Amino acid sequence: MDYKDYYKALGLERTAAQDEIKTAFRKLARKYHPDVNKEAGAEARFKEVSEAYEVLSDPEKRAAYDQLGRDWQAGQEFRPPPGWSEGYEFSGRSFERGGGFSDFFESLFGGLDRRGERGEPPFRGEAAFRARGEDHHARILIGLRDAFTGATRQVSLHAPQVDDTGHVVLRDRTLNVQIPKGVTEGQHIRLKGQGAPGIGGAPAGDLYLEVAFKPDPLYRVDGHDLYLHLPVAPWEAALGASVRMPTPTGPIMLRIPPGSAQGRKLRVRGRGIPGAEPGDLYGVLQVALPPADTEAARKVYEEMARALPFDPRAGLGE
Amino acid sequence: MTEQGSAGIASEVVEQGTLCTFEEVCISCNVNPDWVAGLVEQGAIDAVGSTRAEWRFTAVSLIRVAKARRLERDLGLNLPGIALALDLLDRLDALHARLRSLQERRGSTG
Repeated sequence: MDYKDYYKALGLERTAAQDEIKTAFRKLARKYHPDVNKEAGAEARFKEVSEAYEVLSDPEKRAAYDQLGRDWQAGQEFRPPPGWSEGYEFSGRSFERGGGFSDFFESLFGGLDRRGERGEPPFRGEAAFRARGEDHHARILIGLRDAFTGATRQVSLHAPQVDDTGHVVLRDRTLNVQIPKGVTEGQHIRLKGQGAPGIGGAPAGDLYLEVAFKPDPLYRVDGHDLYLHLPVAPWEAALGASVRMPTPTGPIMLRIPPGSAQGRKLRVRGRGIPGAEPGDLYGVLQVALPPADTEAARKVYEEMARALPFDPRAGLGE
Repeated sequence: MTEQGSAGIASEVVEQGTLCTFEEVCISCNVNPDWVAGLVEQGAIDAVGSTRAEWRFTAVSLIRVAKARRLERDLGLNLPGIALALDLLDRLDALHARLRSLQERRGSTG
């Protein structure tokens, strides 16, 4: 496993005061929190700074970490020294924040810090010893085509579970999830009973997955509607034509009305993301100019320049 | 732990119209009722009905409460801070959507 430089993760010197550690963490957490920053890599960075803060904010853990010495480099192959953790008493503070800390963290502090306490007492409702489990939330990235056909996708989750000794440990869990046909970006899908286990025989909570689409090379998604850039020749736009256009369910022939301008949106009803009210597919016309790289092509452009009283800058005034 | 199987776990799309009670929201998100009531008071989530017993929330509100809880836990925000963050995130989403449609209209390939 790799050594982690927790000071570097927070952009700090090893001599940083506890206040500086807190400030550095708060700034980075606001920047990379996955609810705030949807960019790729933000969530991984947030986990990294959370893990660093979990260790450095706790004077006991920080002292233990510092004791490893200064000679380690981030990414260096690491094994805990023999007798590690003897003489240290780590207070049982729970960390559900982010979840899924690194192997490096686990090897140093795992098993010592899992008492299953929570930051706040769970709300139990009416029945004191029976409580439905908490719901869990995660995100799932699917292809646009999965939304058209439905699909089964694997999701990997880190979830806290109670082990045989009553300690809470984070376990990796892989679920095969049916993606319902017609799901779209920003929607949530619910998996009944896949959240936290219930207490006293009460049902388990649910798992909510927020759906996001992988970027598609052809289509842009807006709600249930799809947009496609459709290149056309100037004469197809001017005179009208019937052109072949791809759709996620197979190509169709699209009629371009005569006198169409650049950027005109042509709607193909019902060819968007399927559902009770299926979305539409829009072809957005992109007029492509043929290059004037032959004598014949130049002649045609010269002929147009002579024959057409056309001022493309008429709208600019003066 | 891996649950393998060819069929896969059945899932359902969370519809806008599904309603849940105040108690269900608290249990779902494992949060204190007064804290959720504070979110309603701040206008950070919408409740239909006038008393706690009558309050009904959409499934979308439930997801918003879960997000609010993450913001509190991870960023140390208080209730007014959470309400502000949720509003700003909504506006950011709306601006991103508008930016995308403007790019579309200008015919950029982005």
